[in-house]
Amino acid sequence: MTQNDKAEPRKDAGRASAENGVVVLDGPDGVAVTMTVEAAVLTAESLQAAAELARTQRRIEK
Amino acid sequence: MLTLNVLRNNNLAISSAERDVLEKSIERTRTLRSGQLAVRQGVEVEVSLLLVDGLMTRHIDTPDGQRHLVGLHVPGDFVDLHAYVLKKLDHDVAALTEVRVAVFPHETLEAIQASNVRLTRRLWFVTLLDAARERQWIYRLASLNASQRVAHFLCEMNARLLAINASDGHIYMLPMTQNEIGEVCSLTNVHVSRVLRQLRESNLCNVRGSRVQILDLGALVSYASFDPAYLFLNAETAARAVAT
Repeated sequence: MTQNDKAEPRKDAGRASAENGVVVLDGPDGVAVTMTVEAAVLTAESLQAAAELARTQRRIEK
Repeated sequence: MLTLNVLRNNNLAISSAERDVLEKSIERTRTLRSGQLAVRQGVEVEVSLLLVDGLMTRHIDTPDGQRHLVGLHVPGDFVDLHAYVLKKLDHDVAALTEVRVAVFPHETLEAIQASNVRLTRRLWFVTLLDAARERQWIYRLASLNASQRVAHFLCEMNARLLAINASDGHIYMLPMTQNEIGEVCSLTNVHVSRVLRQLRESNLCNVRGSRVQILDLGALVSYASFDPAYLFLNAETAARAVAT
């Protein structure tokens, strides 16, 4: 049985690009989403905030 | 011959005598226009349909009105052989293009089951092929990125159409919109459009309208991590499907 890679957090980043007035997010892994500009901005802000919080949690655990 | 493509070039062949039995079990043929529903979810059926010409889909309508395509059929596929046992389907079956289907009353399938063990085993094999394809579709959505999903789907269709002589191994007709390819691959049509451009710019394949031209089959197969084993094709066809 092979290891379940999905149980581990991804170390590679997703790639966002603009296409016909919307934002296309590819990866990491099987992520493939198309978002409106507004949804993309909100997602980016949410990701940024969560990443900052996760960084803090990591410092505390050390 | 209406059953010509049933298990054609699969590794479990149907004999000419068995094909004759199938032909004689057909009650009639029906023609359906593009978009027409052939089998409705939850409605009891007493026949099963063999796709003779065209493409058909299995799909599930979500409560918010979205359609999720969960299966695509090519000529030679029984689109609802599982209805022989289940009687009611958990999904709809519809014509994607104009199609012709051969109608098998369940009583004729019952007669085959009672008298012809070998053919019954082959019909069982047909439904197992359905399940194998569906497992692969789950894998495709769960594990591949957007462009790999589309590449994998195009490789699968090439292999399936190759088996029924509707692809030369590199060029075939796929009368699907980008929106419909998106339904298969769980992508928006904008995303599909972008992916098809990427595949073209990478010299892997060129999709123009309904015409799919695979420019480098070996590279496309490798990129998509496509292994046709789940299609249970005969060795020669499986090899051609991956350009070896």
